[in-house]
Amino acid sequence: MQNKQTEEQVLEILKQFKPEKSEILKALHALQNAHPLHYITEEAITQTARYFKLTTGQVYGVVTYYSMFSVKPRSPFIIRLCKSPVCYMKGSLNLWNYLSQKLLLNENNISSDDLFTLEPSECLGHCEQAPAMMINEQVFTNLSPKKIDQIIDDFKRKYHEK
Amino acid sequence: MNKNVNIIIDGKTITAKEHDNLLNVARQNGFDIPGLCYHPRLSPTGACRLCVVKIEGTNGLVMACTVQVKDGMKITAFDEELENNRRHTLSYLLAEHNEEYDETYHDEFRPLIERYNLKEVAQRPIKSIWQNIPRVVDDTSPVLTYDSSKCIRCFRCIKACEEIQGKGVLSFADRGIQKYIVAGTGKWGSSECDGCGECIQLCPTGAIVEKPHRNIINIYKIDKKVVTSCPYCGVGCQIEVWTQNNQIVRVNGVEDVSPNYGRLCVKGRFGYQYANDRERLTQPLIRKNGKLEPATWDEALTLVANKFNEIRQKYGKKALAGYSSAKCSNEDNYIFQKFIRLAFGNNNVDYCTRLCHASTVAAMIRSLGDGAGSNSIEDFETTDCLIVIGNNIIETHPVTATFIKRGKQKGQKIIVIDPKWTPLVKYADLFLQPRLATDVALLNGMMHVIIKHHLINEKFIEERVEGGMQAYEQLKELVMKYTPDLVEQITGVPEKLFTEAAIMYATAPTAMIATGMGMSQQTVGTNNVFALLNMCLITGKIGRERCGINPPRGQNNVQGATDVGASPVMYPGYIPVTNEENRKKVAKIWNVPFEELDPNPGLTTLEIMDAAHEGIIKGMYIMGENPVITDPNQLHTIEALQNLEFLVVQDIFHTETTAYADVVLPATSLFEKDGTVVNSDRRVLRLRKVLEPTGEALPDWKIIVEIAARMNINIGNYLNEEEIWNEIRQVAPILSGITYERIEKQGIQWPCYDEYHPGTSTLYKDKFNTSSGKAKIYPVEYQEQSEKTSAEYPLVMNSGRILYQYHSATLSRKSDVLNAYASESYILIHPDDAVKYKIQDRKKVKVCSPRGELITTAIISDEVLPGEVFMPWHFHESPVNALTRNEKDPISKIAPFKYSVVKLEAI
Repeated sequence: MQNKQTEEQVLEILKQFKPEKSEILKALHALQNAHPLHYITEEAITQTARYFKLTTGQVYGVVTYYSMFSVKPRSPFIIRLCKSPVCYMKGSLNLWNYLSQKLLLNENNISSDDLFTLEPSECLGHCEQAPAMMINEQVFTNLSPKKIDQIIDDFKRKYHEK
Repeated sequence: MNKNVNIIIDGKTITAKEHDNLLNVARQNGFDIPGLCYHPRLSPTGACRLCVVKIEGTNGLVMACTVQVKDGMKITAFDEELENNRRHTLSYLLAEHNEEYDETYHDEFRPLIERYNLKEVAQRPIKSIWQNIPRVVDDTSPVLTYDSSKCIRCFRCIKACEEIQGKGVLSFADRGIQKYIVAGTGKWGSSECDGCGECIQLCPTGAIVEKPHRNIINIYKIDKKVVTSCPYCGVGCQIEVWTQNNQIVRVNGVEDVSPNYGRLCVKGRFGYQYANDRERLTQPLIRKNGKLEPATWDEALTLVANKFNEIRQKYGKKALAGYSSAKCSNEDNYIFQKFIRLAFGNNNVDYCTRLCHASTVAAMIRSLGDGAGSNSIEDFETTDCLIVIGNNIIETHPVTATFIKRGKQKGQKIIVIDPKWTPLVKYADLFLQPRLATDVALLNGMMHVIIKHHLINEKFIEERVEGGMQAYEQLKELVMKYTPDLVEQITGVPEKLFTEAAIMYATAPTAMIATGMGMSQQTVGTNNVFALLNMCLITGKIGRERCGINPPRGQNNVQGATDVGASPVMYPGYIPVTNEENRKKVAKIWNVPFEELDPNPGLTTLEIMDAAHEGIIKGMYIMGENPVITDPNQLHTIEALQNLEFLVVQDIFHTETTAYADVVLPATSLFEKDGTVVNSDRRVLRLRKVLEPTGEALPDWKIIVEIAARMNINIGNYLNEEEIWNEIRQVAPILSGITYERIEKQGIQWPCYDEYHPGTSTLYKDKFNTSSGKAKIYPVEYQEQSEKTSAEYPLVMNSGRILYQYHSATLSRKSDVLNAYASESYILIHPDDAVKYKIQDRKKVKVCSPRGELITTAIISDEVLPGEVFMPWHFHESPVNALTRNEKDPISKIAPFKYSVVKLEAI
């Protein structure tokens, strides 16, 4: 799998947005989502700055302000586990520990097989079915260790089938 | 002007201007309200919350820095509650702050810690937590280091970069307590930061500190802080120079003083290393057996005097000539021209202005009457529309450019016209990229548009142009031939673009033009400027504030050197040498017989070199110039210098030119001098001695006086520079009213005719300085270049400057900082041409012209047009002037540095 974004690929994504300041967040999301390792590279930040007629520092400031953006390489799958009060009361902390052990996370919270990155998330809006998490764009609710096993295995299988 | 209002602070009635900043007003009146984020040059932030006050009728505490003064305001600045609040806030800031202090910077935080009795840890209400916050240290910049543990997130650096310098390079990264300052993607060194250091000067807590000399500077051991003028370009920035043990250790911009109001560029702030460089010339040198060997001053001066006398006797007075210097003071230049006129008995004195704005000056004098910029630097910010043509102003006049960028933030329209992309294009509304040397066609085309759209100013033409509408009709007849199709065909600029530009300029309530070397350094240089002036005149965009034409000058005293008479055609004050009445007046002041003053114009810079080549000039005196690098057609220059019988070079370093000298005389640098200079907006500014002279070096004027004495020529006895200046005031009426005393703090702009005259910020408000008092239109046709591309030489080379180096780089290349940013020659070539001529990016290439060749590195870039290449000319190892030609503009005698046919070969 190609773990890089070329200059042309970045430009192609940027061109989908009007070069107006209000479009920056959307463009950054698109860049991050399109990167196989779900992060925004220094080169992409530089190109974004040029496209929106800003300085690199100004774009870097935006990227690092929001916790949903990463400037470090992550992995193909980003798990965002909700740690807001409802999920917390329904045991999300236990699930965090469970996932940590199951995936053998390193200090950057990346799994030993480099497929998953675990991140805490603010409320995902599924409190009635807490605890909840997202993997990339997909939402999973009513989580339990058993259900998590199933989900993770599914992702692994599909990834390797590809 | 805002009206005066009265406010009461702690019972004291204070008069202030309405809408003034409350914190500023309070401090100016002795109320020492604490505060760290406010700076008078920045918009208020209200981030540090230390300047809280109470205002009657307003609930709670308000931050004084965010309040505008209103009539009748009653303010409490100090009471127990406020002081407690401030102490508490301060201790919050302190908890997140690393207090280590190494005495290398001015810290605004520490005095407050003492003042609020927080020095002892036990006395602090809030425990220290800074050790637990991730610390970010960025040491990648050549000029500064950022340490987040000392940063109080006050916004000053971000605003310094954005609001003052217009660059916006800095930003906050991350958030909350971990927030820190970032340039680029976290590495200052690879970001867009160009090292001006504005953020260092404004940082209150030492989070951003200067790198050079940090190992030796101690702000408690500074010997001197001297205010003088920057030695680099013609903006004339006022700098405060700090020394320790006769060494410069820091330079700051002087706050609140024109023309720079505290701002500097990277050269001004960090380019001073040359002053203390080990390679400085320390004693006179005489060539013996082919080698330059040390000599005593007496030996060297006697030899020079005898040789000059000998040549004059043997070959007559036409056999001698001198190059004066735009880097020297007015006093040096004045004495130099006086020396040439009296000791050489001719008017063969000129200097690098001939290679710079000679054509601009020639056109402006003919058309308007004065050879100087018509406006003040401040107008670059406030004019409604600005055309910047043939001028890479962000790189060549960085501080003037800050005014433009600030104007842009307020809605100024900017039109950039340049064959090469320049950084100002990023700020421009329109960018017109004509082919090299097609400017007259483009400007005639723009005037065609202006006329067609009925945008001329008839009232102005009738009242202020010689010949009125009749003169206009002649111009109209000529420019109407320049149809949009024809102009597009000649220049390559699309009709839509130049139409829009012409309308934008003509319809703006006020509009200015900044013209540069791109226009002047051509064989049609004077015509280029005539075309610009014609456009000014038919639209009436001159003779008012914020309207006019300005040629920012390249060197620190290029304006002053001509003002005080370093010219073959003008006496001091722009009075022609042919003016007999003036010569009589000057002879009286100089105390010499009138007959001794040659009434014939002398030779210009390049004519002097040609005459040396032909053997007519036998002896030459060069002060502070390096023609081997700066004159066109290097081979021709070298041959000319070799052909001289006797060459004296007076400089502060060995240069490529001293290699051909018979005697080399060591002069003091600008940091070792008293005197004055004149900047681009005609402001006479002081130079003050910062350092003791290096070795046996002497001020230029003293050396000249000594030579004259040994030639038995009386050019006057002067105790100091001020005495020379007072003589200049008698000889040059435009400078009469300017005394050293009057310019102690602020410069004054000439013309200034008497000591009560305030100086002149805008020229031509009532009349033009021509004999009729009216401006003249000079219609000009587009002319094709005599130099043409061919199968052998298919490309046209343009040349210019870059931000980090300066002219022949004698000074700037002594700076480690400037070299760290850029110290290598290159040639820009368009991607299409790179394919065509098989040139690879970042690979060595040979560049050849019919005059010579050089080797440099190719950079593939679409900053240039296909068919054109660009090279910076600072680098002696790849001397651009080996390729240029010494053909001359017929009127101004300037050479076409901007147009040489070349070929490129990969090697």
